[in-house]
Amino acid sequence: MTEHNNNEVGRRQFLGRVTKAGVSIAAAGIIAAKLYDVQGPKPGVKAEDLVTLPDFSIPQENGRTISIVTGPDRTQTVGMAIELLGGIGRFVKEGQTVAIKPNVAFASPSKFGATANPDLVAELVRLCYGAGAKRVIVTDNPINDPASCFTLSGIGKAASQAGAKVILPRDHLFRHTTLTNGRLIRNWPIYFEPFEKVDRLIGVGPVKHHERSGASMTMKNWYGLLGGRRNVFHQDINTIIAELAMMVKPTLVILDGTEVMMTNGPTGGSLSDLKRKNTLIASTDMVAADSCGAGLLDLKVSDLAYLAKAAKAEAGTTDYESLKPKRAAVG
Amino acid sequence: MPSVPGRNRRLESVVSVLLLAVLLLIAVGVLIKQADSDMTRFGLDANSALYSEKTQTGLQEPPDLAALLPKGFKEFSPPETYEAANLYEKINGKAPLYLDAGFLNLFTQRFASQDDESLWMELYLFDMAALRNAFSVYSVQKRADVETLPDMQFAYKTTNALFLVHGRYYIELLGSDESPDLLAAMTDVADNVTSRLKVTKTAQIPELNLFPQENIIPGSIKLSLKDTFGFEDLTDTFSCHYKLNDQSITAFISRRPDARNAQLIAKSYSDFLIENGATNKTAGNEVLKNIGARVLDFYDTTEIIFTVGPFVGGIHEAEDQKAAEEQAVKLIDKLTESAKTQK
Repeated sequence: MTEHNNNEVGRRQFLGRVTKAGVSIAAAGIIAAKLYDVQGPKPGVKAEDLVTLPDFSIPQENGRTISIVTGPDRTQTVGMAIELLGGIGRFVKEGQTVAIKPNVAFASPSKFGATANPDLVAELVRLCYGAGAKRVIVTDNPINDPASCFTLSGIGKAASQAGAKVILPRDHLFRHTTLTNGRLIRNWPIYFEPFEKVDRLIGVGPVKHHERSGASMTMKNWYGLLGGRRNVFHQDINTIIAELAMMVKPTLVILDGTEVMMTNGPTGGSLSDLKRKNTLIASTDMVAADSCGAGLLDLKVSDLAYLAKAAKAEAGTTDYESLKPKRAAVG
Repeated sequence: MPSVPGRNRRLESVVSVLLLAVLLLIAVGVLIKQADSDMTRFGLDANSALYSEKTQTGLQEPPDLAALLPKGFKEFSPPETYEAANLYEKINGKAPLYLDAGFLNLFTQRFASQDDESLWMELYLFDMAALRNAFSVYSVQKRADVETLPDMQFAYKTTNALFLVHGRYYIELLGSDESPDLLAAMTDVADNVTSRLKVTKTAQIPELNLFPQENIIPGSIKLSLKDTFGFEDLTDTFSCHYKLNDQSITAFISRRPDARNAQLIAKSYSDFLIENGATNKTAGNEVLKNIGARVLDFYDTTEIIFTVGPFVGGIHEAEDQKAAEEQAVKLIDKLTESAKTQK
């Protein structure tokens, strides 16, 4: 054969190649069809649309960072605890708007200790108005159905009767945020709008055992600000609690250890899970507050890994005694 | 076909095969990594049942909760059903405890007194796929100093709540208040559960009968399905407490697939303790010496680990070595006797 003839493709060879090409194209098409995501990736929130929670903290004052008050009556202990830190006037000014974020995670009576105490929340509302607050809102993004949570816990009624505006979470109140230096909170929806235009933020929650993190106190309370499928964070719960402490800079936190859920948290359910400790902690440093609260659960600071993580991230100190807590007993 | 000058067909083939091999390795790596991810931790996979009396996944047919209503009570909320994917919406941080134990579904509903709506209870009916799984979540959450219920194998009540196991179901009844009427109604619901909710009657937990009964603290047996005493390979482990004079002693057993595996686990658990600060001690008891039991000092407490056939057994964190050894020997005798009976 000549070289020219060698370059020619015969009919049989041509049909073979066409068949192979056809099979390859069909296979690629079938695989592509199988892998095709009809909905496509969800559009990511653009960087310019991400929000940052305002900083609600106030300047620190030596010797007035944390107070520990013992007594059975929460309305008395919280008043004294705030007084020891300089009085409510240090935290709330005339004409300001205040957001109170209680732990209202579950649709259960507050006596189970799984939620904040309604009398305590109501007293905080009254204290804020007493200091001249223009408006006080009470809100949370509970685990269970929000309306049921606010109703069955008694917090909705108590807060309303004290004059607060109770806000239930709605989809349009969430915005995406990314925590600077955060590993988990990245482009994640948070409960934002109720807090966007307030001047002060007060967190209030009970001391309770938590199956995953060991304890749920003031830092874990901010879990209620997370939206989306936030349960994925349980995989790395110590990191998410530490990141919440980095993300939220409250004016004041109130840790209620009057009755402590010692076991079977965070839901509890039996009154036998509770132990009366008659202790209430107020602090502008929530790492310090939770470190002090660990003792109420018969735990050491080192037993709660998120405390060290938060301290390392400079969200506060675990050495709460170094802050020279103000102490008192009432009732 | 003409040969192109400078072209090495053999080299091209070798390079092509190598590239394809690399791509194949990458694909295999991705598949292995994906298969290794534990999505149950996120509540995204209902196929995590550790024990299943029959193959069940996803949403089961909801039981008729209204049929469990006690006399004088009414439905106070609509029934709700949760799967592994959304269990956290009901119990949040406690969800992994159930998901790790083979959870299938949770059915809940509130019942309120017809006379006083402030007296209500919430029924939590956890379908745990198997009696063992249900017993595990029941036992690890069991409250101390409670009143056990007669005529029920695993049931107790507190001042405002009642907890029980019925076949593959773990049930919680949580009352809104401390009320004798409410507790009586809860007992009625428990009776309705046991009489109306069909379960596999033949299901048993044989290990419960393997602990010596002398000095045992009633109701103290727990089943830990994983990470027992902080050691991840010590799975499916029953433990119970004994009261000897003023001391409390914890004994444990774990049935392994065979004797060889039991010996491996016993050794690796012993190694784990030594890595974490334990030191070897000499057994004082001849029985323990004869079967090669490991006796360790762990921060001034005594740990004993032994095997009897397919069982790993032992004593955990006992204050007194002599008492621990005596209890260990009793457990060995019981396991040996059980093995003979089975033969």
